[in-house]
Amino acid sequence: MNHALRRVSLACLAMFLLLLVNANYVQGFEAGKLADDPGNGRTFAQQYQYQRGSIITADNQPIAQSKHVSGVYSFQRNYPGGATYAPVTGYDTPYSKTGIEQAEDKLLAGTDPRLTVRNLIDLVTGKPRKGATVQLTINSAAQKAAYQALKATGKPGGAVAIDPSTGAILALASYPSFNPNKLATLNGKALNKADKKYLNSPQQPLLNRAINETFPPGSTFKIVTSSAAFSGGKYTPDSRYYAPTNLKLPNTTNQLINYDHTPCNDGTNPTGTGKVPLIYAFTVSCNTVFGGLGMKLGGSALRHQAHAFGMNQELRIPLKVSVSRYPPVSDPALTAYSAIGQYNDTVTPLQEAMFSAAIANRGTLMRPYLVQKVIAPNLTPLVTTEPTELSHTASPAVAGQVGRMMAGVVAQPYGTAHSMVANLGGITVAGKTGTAQNGANNIGLDDAVFTGFAPVANPRIAVGVVVKGGGLGADASAPVAAAIIKAYINYLNSSAKR
Amino acid sequence: MSAFGAMGDGAGTTGTSTGLAKVVTLPRGRRGAELIMLAFAIGVVLFAYASVGLGLNGHVPTGLATYGVLFALLMLAAHLAIRRLAPWADPLLLPLAALLNGLGLVMIYRLQEAGRNGNPGNPISTMSASTTTFQLMWSTIGVIAFVAVLVVVREPRLLQRYTYTLGVIGLVLLALPALLPSSISEVPGTGAKIQVSLGGFSIQPEEFAKIALAVFFAGYLVAKRDVLSLAGRHVLGIALPRARDMGPVLIAWAASLLVLIFESDIGTSALFFGMFLIMLYVATQRTSWLLIGTSLFLGGAFLASQLVSHVGLRFSIWLHPFTYANVFCGAASVHVPCVPSYQLAQGMYGLGFGGILGTGLGHGQPYLTPLVQSDFIITAFGEELGLTGLMALLLIYGLIVQRGLRAAVAVRDPFAKLLAAGLSFVIALQVFVIVGGVTQLIPLTGITTPFLSQGGSSLVASWMVIAVLMRISDTARRPAPQPIQDEGMTQVVRAI
Repeated sequence: MNHALRRVSLACLAMFLLLLVNANYVQGFEAGKLADDPGNGRTFAQQYQYQRGSIITADNQPIAQSKHVSGVYSFQRNYPGGATYAPVTGYDTPYSKTGIEQAEDKLLAGTDPRLTVRNLIDLVTGKPRKGATVQLTINSAAQKAAYQALKATGKPGGAVAIDPSTGAILALASYPSFNPNKLATLNGKALNKADKKYLNSPQQPLLNRAINETFPPGSTFKIVTSSAAFSGGKYTPDSRYYAPTNLKLPNTTNQLINYDHTPCNDGTNPTGTGKVPLIYAFTVSCNTVFGGLGMKLGGSALRHQAHAFGMNQELRIPLKVSVSRYPPVSDPALTAYSAIGQYNDTVTPLQEAMFSAAIANRGTLMRPYLVQKVIAPNLTPLVTTEPTELSHTASPAVAGQVGRMMAGVVAQPYGTAHSMVANLGGITVAGKTGTAQNGANNIGLDDAVFTGFAPVANPRIAVGVVVKGGGLGADASAPVAAAIIKAYINYLNSSAKR
Repeated sequence: MSAFGAMGDGAGTTGTSTGLAKVVTLPRGRRGAELIMLAFAIGVVLFAYASVGLGLNGHVPTGLATYGVLFALLMLAAHLAIRRLAPWADPLLLPLAALLNGLGLVMIYRLQEAGRNGNPGNPISTMSASTTTFQLMWSTIGVIAFVAVLVVVREPRLLQRYTYTLGVIGLVLLALPALLPSSISEVPGTGAKIQVSLGGFSIQPEEFAKIALAVFFAGYLVAKRDVLSLAGRHVLGIALPRARDMGPVLIAWAASLLVLIFESDIGTSALFFGMFLIMLYVATQRTSWLLIGTSLFLGGAFLASQLVSHVGLRFSIWLHPFTYANVFCGAASVHVPCVPSYQLAQGMYGLGFGGILGTGLGHGQPYLTPLVQSDFIITAFGEELGLTGLMALLLIYGLIVQRGLRAAVAVRDPFAKLLAAGLSFVIALQVFVIVGGVTQLIPLTGITTPFLSQGGSSLVASWMVIAVLMRISDTARRPAPQPIQDEGMTQVVRAI
């Protein structure tokens, strides 16, 4: 029987060998694949065992940080800035992430390949793994001013401020906003409740209006129309152009009119039959002049110019930005509407800021970005963003001409945005207002739009503001822009003194 | 060649061949080695126990002194019993069993503590705060049963007398759950009818049926092996048995199929049939029995998988454990056939998460796997002790099987030989079925992991198996009775 017993021993040996080989395969070779499987809850909980990196502003204010807590999860995410910074930071829940939390997740979590070597060193030296810190371009003064001013209007809207010379985004605010702390809770019931509340709210607090909702640009689009006109070489701000009170449009009974049906009168055109200089028409925002000019330039020239300003293009900052659109248009009447920012033109508040940023930076549009640098846990910089050009929108001369017209909009007593001077404390601003009709048959309240830059002589900040249903651009949006500009320029002055 | 040559290592004897030596060196039982290894095993267990507390909340568990001392005393008691009752038994079996039993207790304590007393994780709803205490109580009963077997069964041959009695007892125990109503016999949520549960206290009779049937098979086969080894027709160079001798194998096959169908338990069914086949093979040395038996079993299992939905599901889960519908069973649409492979997938995730070195005791999340404390306990070890720990556990099992088979080779009595072979093989098969099942090597069937899983029956039965193996190895290694010596004789010269 011993002969058979030896064979049985071999069979047992084979069974154990199979188990050992299989265990090696599963735990040695498949381990990574199993860890990455979407159903694996262990990896998910693991992220709360390590300290996630902080998100800080350009002026080193923490706006998202992980604090040690006791319990199942070792760390709790906390957003000191709450709703003010929510459109930027986004939130980090156990189930989903948005904003920078999502865009820079691997670096914040410390799982990015660029951190592998450091993680290995930490493993050997026994230090706990830690995520990298993400420093944004956001300036806390500008951001707070933007959110407070938007909130003061009481209407939904978005505001963006850019450093025109680099493209660094200084402020990115949206109202109504949400409190990311409510979503960062590790209490499942509380999270569900907050999530439901935000998702079902008719005010859409989770919508990032600064980059993910588009509005008609209204008269601010005249910046694009003017740039196209001057770039063609046939016009300057001083060129006189036909300025009727009512502009008859071809192939339709509709007529293009000025706001409040007033004639475009600089003193030489009281009857609405003559011509006015383009700079005057721009300053008081005559629709009939730019409608006519747009028809003359043609839809494709306008489309080309709009593209140069960043419209019709995908953009990541690194958050995904909704595309601002200037759709193809060939019908002359529709071209006239599109030249004054109506018809199917749509822009984000970020795009509004980009209009002014390009003009302020002598026609060169810098690529907007939110992340200044990423700092490894041992404080060495891991990534530093270098400013890059997005496009050439116009020659420095043309940009100068458009800038001169925009300066007039604020500086001239008859300019549409002159009222904001009182709020600026001596800072010179160049800008353009827009009062955009929207809704079916234009029955909705007009959206208030403003874009501008400051100071005029040496631009440091470009802003774009849209207040939905805000009425006149000068009434609702210009004060928001003024508040942001003032807060940022004051910050620059005080930090320069220091 | 010494007369004790068949006894294997460590039991050889040397007599002094010169002078008037008064001392005859007796064969060594190696109880000292056993004690040292046992102390080492207890040390490993206590260290692991402390490590669980440190991993969970940074403190050494408060029960370390009481539980630790209790466990150590229990194992020492078993050791002392062996010194008295089976002094020649294999010295390795007790330390190995103690190590497994202890590590099982430690892991059950770790799982019980998850989410309780402020520790990380979610509490496991199927475990109470006193599960470890109960398991320690079962360990005590197990050691008592171990000693009792050694006391009662002074010679393996004693068991041979009760071949048919034990056969009947074994079959009754095996059939009991199938005959009882589901409310008593079904393991909740699995569809498998394998237990007898009364008043919150449950026993799995099959664990004891295993031992009874092993004795029955051994006794029966010893008696009939001459007939069963007669060759019949030759087909393809293999000597087939005579058709009239096919009776016993067909009866065993039918019984295992009945278990499969009425208890929906392919694991137990495979275990019993596998044990029978191997013993039949060892008894007759006929490979043809293996071939016939294996093809009968595979055919029956295939048929059952077509007829019994519970068995068919197991295959589907095995082949596609990670499909969306399987992992997220609850969320899947009603139109998608939903296969509950959640448990297997979670176990695999745990193994993957543990990787080579594991997370360390108390640092993983084994509580995410449903019923991790019983069928899936090996994945908890794989997660927290890693591939390294899992391989160590497999090697411990391998050593137990090897020591058992060694006893089978060494013992002379054919009955004891068959019994040791059957019991050793059934341990190997059980480990293969459950560890292979949770690591996706073979379709998963719910059977216990010897010594490690939570549950009393399996633990007590495992201790009894170790006792029988030690009794057999004791018989094998025991020196032949010394001839009565006169006062004047100075030396015993053994035959060379």
